Parts: sequence; structure tokens; C-alpha cells
Amino acid sequence: MAVDRPTTGNATDPMPTGGHGPIVIPDQAGDSDLLREFGMDEHPQGGFHGLLEVIPTKADYILDLIRANSLWPLLSGLSCCAIEMMSTATSVNDIDRFGMFPFRASPRQADVLIVAGTLTTKMAGPLVRLWEQMPEPKWCVAMGTCTTSGGRFKRSYSVVQGVDRVMPVDVYVPGCPPRPEGLIYGMMKLHELVKERRGQWRTYVDRGPQRTRWEGDVR
Amino acid sequence: MADLRRSRTAAHPLGRRRPLTTPVAAGALVRALAERLGSDLRDLWTDEDTVEYQVDGARAHDVLRTLRDDDDLAFFMLADAAAVDYGPGERFEVVYHLFSWKHPGWLRIRAQVDRADPRIATITDLWEGAMFHEREMYDMMGIVFEGNRDLRRIYMSPDYRSFPQRRDFVLPDDAADSSAAGVRPLERPETWDLTRFNQAPGVTFSPSAQRDDAPGEAVTGGETLSSKSRPR
Amino acid sequence: MTGIDPETRIPDPIELDRAEEERLRAVAGLTPVRASGGEYAGFEQVGIPDRPPQTEREREVYTLDEGEMLVNMGPQHPSTHGVMRLVVKVRGEIIVDIDPVLGYLHRGIEKLCENATYTTVLTYVDPMDYLSTMHNEHAPAIAFEKLYGVKAPPRAEYIRALVVELNRIFSHGLMMGFLALDMGGITPILYAFINRDEIVDMLSAISGQRMLFNFFRVGGVNFDTNDEFLSRLGTWRGNVMKNIEMNERMITENEIFRARTIDMGTLTGQQAISLGVTGPNLRACGVPFDVRKAKPYSIYHELEFDVITQQGGDSYARYLQRIAEIKQSIHLIDQIIDKMPHGSVQAQVPGIIRPRPGRAYGAVESPRGLYSVYSISDGGPNPYRFRMRDPSFISLQALPKLMPGRLVADTMAVMASLDPVMGGVDK
Repeated sequence: MAVDRPTTGNATDPMPTGGHGPIVIPDQAGDSDLLREFGMDEHPQGGFHGLLEVIPTKADYILDLIRANSLWPLLSGLSCCAIEMMSTATSVNDIDRFGMFPFRASPRQADVLIVAGTLTTKMAGPLVRLWEQMPEPKWCVAMGTCTTSGGRFKRSYSVVQGVDRVMPVDVYVPGCPPRPEGLIYGMMKLHELVKERRGQWRTYVDRGPQRTRWEGDVR
Repeated sequence: MADLRRSRTAAHPLGRRRPLTTPVAAGALVRALAERLGSDLRDLWTDEDTVEYQVDGARAHDVLRTLRDDDDLAFFMLADAAAVDYGPGERFEVVYHLFSWKHPGWLRIRAQVDRADPRIATITDLWEGAMFHEREMYDMMGIVFEGNRDLRRIYMSPDYRSFPQRRDFVLPDDAADSSAAGVRPLERPETWDLTRFNQAPGVTFSPSAQRDDAPGEAVTGGETLSSKSRPR
Repeated sequence: MTGIDPETRIPDPIELDRAEEERLRAVAGLTPVRASGGEYAGFEQVGIPDRPPQTEREREVYTLDEGEMLVNMGPQHPSTHGVMRLVVKVRGEIIVDIDPVLGYLHRGIEKLCENATYTTVLTYVDPMDYLSTMHNEHAPAIAFEKLYGVKAPPRAEYIRALVVELNRIFSHGLMMGFLALDMGGITPILYAFINRDEIVDMLSAISGQRMLFNFFRVGGVNFDTNDEFLSRLGTWRGNVMKNIEMNERMITENEIFRARTIDMGTLTGQQAISLGVTGPNLRACGVPFDVRKAKPYSIYHELEFDVITQQGGDSYARYLQRIAEIKQSIHLIDQIIDKMPHGSVQAQVPGIIRPRPGRAYGAVESPRGLYSVYSISDGGPNPYRFRMRDPSFISLQALPKLMPGRLVADTMAVMASLDPVMGGVDK
């Protein structure tokens, strides 16, 4: 349906800019000051251009924001820390505030693996398999001293001394078990990590140089 | 609620170390046991709430069946079944704890098992619930329960080859059995490969066998273990 | 080099190279095989071990008849209550047999305890049955006090009974929540966790640690009551009956809940005793066995209470038993507070205890049943042998007996009603 909207291009010549139609932003059309403020340049033949050069970086930034604020953990608890993880998820500590409530039962829908509890040699294989089933990008949080180093079971004959022996770890949360506040703090750290792209998953797929700060990051 | 307030008084007089209390009024139980199972049970030992006997491993099954089925004894519940290792060259014990409504204490039956050939009859035909107990003892100690239908490893993976609860299975940094009596560091220098240091010119490195606290030599062969004091 | 017996292969935890990682993956033993024939021929099945069966029972489970197939639940499964693997043999939707595969959380606590001093043992047993931490410490404390010949002062015994009953309340409350959660009801677990967090914060005010309290000592408890604990206790006591009844109203009369629990997983008393099932699961079968009455420990001979039993022995009876015990525990807490004496909370005991050679057995009634410790001393600072009998480990044997003939979906409902905790099952 033809809508009678003002354009900045020449209506009689549909391709005034050499093969590309004029870029029209309906709401701001005509408001040249605002478009200049967006960083767009005025085209000599009318209209504005430069928007496409801006979008890729901004879209990555927005994607990272989206990723960081809807990290869905895998519903996987190994032992004691799992109870504190559940406590973090339920009413009192309510990790839903950070977009993390939907604990996914399938690794194929999960973004972050919270290894909550002692990892034994018998469980190491299935846990690695879970980790490998998770789609990228993915992050791993080692919750509790058992998963960071073996903790009080370091000397045992059947305990893996830290999950970083079998999989990459992004955030270590110490404590035996960590308080729910501790886990939430670890998750905040993971948010920073995701937004700055410092996570381990880039070691699998290189996605360009590492950046510590993003343009427009107002933190 | 007044009594709940914090109170700081001197230590309670019961806190001082004192001898164990006299045995429970277990006379009826001891008489009944002597009557039913006279020669099988030996080495009576009582605690404040426990009556303890030893039996031969070969007789354990019959003794437990009598204890369960006899109307005067009626030990209907198997509270616990555990294995104890007394070290290389010594023996295993399978320890059963039983409960009965008719008697005041726990009854503990210690069955002796040869350590070189650890075999004892299963009691899964008396109590089905002994199945996991026996699988655990098989997994941890390597005791074979003859007649058990499902004697597999229960905790460790099927390809695991040793028995972790035995006394001669030493943890990597076993503080209790180290010659340094618990102050040994976590590292195990006897496992380090020092050949490239020894062969390098100008470097001298004392071999680990000469170290005083080299733990590998001290804990093997059962010498350290058998020289330690242990209960009967 | 070291002369260690080759049979005693010490796993070297320092080196975990690629080959070891491959081995760890192979350890899971999950080799794809194909069904023997019939309706499911060609379906790839996971769970049959790639080795000949070792025992009669294993051959029975892993041999498939016409139309049968194996379904592998776990070790990662949202409602196995931890890391447990159930190999379920099914014909269509009907369960034929179940083989529980344990050990995914085996941490070797007994072995570690045998290398720790008596005081440290009370730390090591904490994460075993992680929903009843206070009970985990109670039984070793009783056993060690018997070994060492020391008794805790009366006030310490009362504080022990108080914290233990508080622990029982939140453990049973969580069981109610998990049972409803495994049938698809999310709300009860949220309320159960509110109640649990309230109690856990209260216990952390007295013990200093939130979940693994490490509160008991040989010859007493670590701290006396303090103001924060008492004020939290008072607030909680004012609201608890209302909260419990709200949770109860939400579940008990629910049509779906009743349909999925009544006459489901029925155990007879005789069967339960033979299987070694204890605690609320046994009392739900009508057997009045409660260690607090049968072999009174601590101060339970001074308190007035009856052993509650239910008739029926099904999942619903086990659920009702938990509710009744929560109310009983609240009643016990009232009595304990009324009777609590003044005095010290810690007998004079040295830091490193060397009991005389001997052996002792300490048993308590944990929320899951008879939890007992058998400890042997050789006169040294470490227990010569330290053995724990965990109730959920033994109760789990009932599951393969209960499920044949039922639907796959009911496995979780029945298992949640047995209330196993994997930390205790695998030690």
C-alpha cells in the first residue's frame, strides 16, 4: 500500500544514489539536525547516508547486552551448592531480577553452566558432555571451593581437583557453599565479562580482537 | 524464654574425662544369646548401649538367621553392615548392627574374614536391604559375598582396579600415615621426574629415596601400619 | 620406584592430561547400542555397558525381550535430586525394571575422615546429606563422646536438640516442595525455600555458617544462643504454623497431586523392614520405629512426644507423614525452649582428642531415617575406621521394587516421596 510519506530522495528517479534507494527514516525524516546528531552524513544528491557504517558495531554491542541480561543457566546441580543455587533462584534471593530464572533442563537451550558442587571422576565425563552439548556462546561458572580447587575433598581419590581441569571456567565463586549473594555477585562479574567479551568461549571461535571498553559504554 | 539468654558459667563438671558408664542392663539378652548360640559367640564386650560379640565368618550367616528368627531375640532390623580392615597381614571384619524391640541396646556382631581370601556368605536372603551394604563393602574393601546376585562396584566405575577403603590404599598426601606425622606438604616429590635436572651439568639434586620424609618407602609393605597400635 | 603394590593404584590427581580426559569420558560407559528387535528395532539406545554382564542381576536388567528398550535417566536429569543415573527398562510406557547406577557423587568421605582428627571429622561429614547437616554432625558427636568418655553439658544437649529439630523442619518442608515440583507444581517449592531460608539464616546466626553449619563439637556445641538467633526464632515461630498450613492446603487436597500419589509406590511394613527403609518412609508403612523413642539419645527421653505413623505406605502416606512430623518438631521445639537450662555449652575437651582404643556406635533419627556412625579408635588422633550408614542410600533400594508396572513419569514422583539426597547416597 502506497503511503504518502515525505521522502528526502527524488521521487521521480528511484535510483538517484547510484543503485541504492535513498535511506529513509520515517519518524525523523526531514529533521536533518537530528540525523546529523546521529552521525549521518548528508548525501550530495539528497538524503542521508552513513547509517549502515554505524550499525554493525552497535548491533554487536546490543547483542552483548542481550546476552548478558538473559543468561539462562543449565538446570544442573552436582551436590550441596545446588541447594544454594536453588535458593538463589527462588523467592528470597530471586535471580530472576537479572533475567536468569529460566533454568533450562536441556543443555541445548542454556547459555551458562553453573557447576554447583563437587565434581567426581565418575561425573567428569557426563559433565564434559553436557558442556559440549551447549551451543556457543556459552560460559561456565565454578561455584564453590570444590569446583574451583577440590576444596575440602582435594585429597580424595575420586574427586577432580577443580573443574578447570576438564573445561574452561569464566568465573570462580569461592565459598563452601557460597551464599546466594556470593553467587549473584559472581553472576554480576559474568555480566561484565560477557559485555566486554572476555569470556572463555572466544578461545573456540575467534571473533576479532578483544576489547576492554565499548564505544558508548557508560559504566 | 528467660533461660535462653546467653549464660557464661564455668565448664560443666561432667566435662572432665571419666570412665565409660557401666554396661546396660543387658543380662537378659546375654543369657538368651548364650542359651541359643553358646559356642558361636565369643568375646563379649559391652558399652553403655551396645552388646558386642565376635563370630567366625563361616558361622555369621547362621548366627544372624537365628538372631532374626528366634522369638526371644527377634532382631528384625539390620541397622548397619560395615567392613573394617585391620591392615595387611591381619584380617577383615564385617560388622553387623542389629535392632530388636525386646532388648535395650544395639547388638553388634563382628564376623572375622580372612584378608588373603576375603569371602563370607551373603545375608541378602535374610535382609534384602543388605544388598547395597554388601556392594559397598565389595567396592571399598574387596570382600566377596558368596551368593549375592548383584556383586558389582557401586561407587567407583567398573574399570576401577583398587579398593580405596583398605588400609594399604594411601591417599596422595596421607597425613595420618606419613612419617612426618601430618606436616608433609601436598606435593609428592617421589613422583617428580628429576632425571633432566640430575643430568644437567652443574646441578646436584639429592634423589628422593634419600630424603628422610620420603613417603613412598615408609607406607608400603605394611611395616608402618602393622607396627601401629590398633584395637583388638 | 616407590614399591607401592601395583594393585593399589594411587590415582595421581596432579596430572590430568588429554589421555586422562579421554578416560574420564569413557568412564561414563555410555556406549550406543541397538535394540534387540521388535517394535523398537533400530532405535539407538544409550546405557548398555559394552562389556559382558558381571552378575546375575546385571544380565537380568540388560537383556532385552521383544518390545523392550532401555531408557537412561541421568546422571544429569532435572529431577533425579542430584547426580544419579537410573537405567529404566520399559515396554512402551510401562516400566519393567530399574537399575540405579550410583557413585556420581562419591567423594570418599569415609576415607578422608579416617585421615582427619576427630574435630575435623565433624567438618567432613557436613556435606554428606546436605539437607540435614546438623544430624550429620550429631551422630559422630555421640559416637566420639562415647569413645572419649565425655558428656556434653545439659544446655549443649538442649541446643543440639533445638537445632536438629529446626533442621528436620526445613528438610521435610523441602521434601514437600520437591515432591510437588516433580509433578509440575512450581509454587510449593518457592514457599518451601522461603521457609528454608528463614531457618537457615537463623541457624547461621547461631553457627556462623549458612548451610554446612559445622556447629557440633565433641563435648558440646560451638556457640551459645545469641540475641539474633533468638529474635529470628521468635519471629519464625510466630508465623510457621500459618506458613506450613498454607503450603499444606496448596498440596494436600490438590486433585492432580492426589491422583499421582495415592496408591502409588506402596510399601508394606514387612517389605520396608527387609529393604532397610527407615525414618518417615518406614513410619508411613505403619511401623512405629523412631530412633528418638527406640534408643533415646541426647535429651529425647525428657521430651513428650509420640511416634507418628500412617497407614497405607504409599507416596501420599509418606507425604502426610512429613507434614505430621513438621508439626511434631514444632511441638518439640516449644518443649525444648521451655525446659532449656542454664550452664555451659562446651565440655572441656582438648583440640586434638586421642580416645582410648575402642569402638562406638552413635545413631540418630535424621529426616531420612536411621543415620548412624560406627567409629573405631586405636588411640591415635584419627579414627581408625569411620563408617557412616546413610538412610537415603539404603532407602533407594526400594525404588526398583516399587516401580515395575508403573508409568515412566511416575518414577520421579515415587522417588521424590522416598526423599533421597545424593550427597548421602554416594558419600
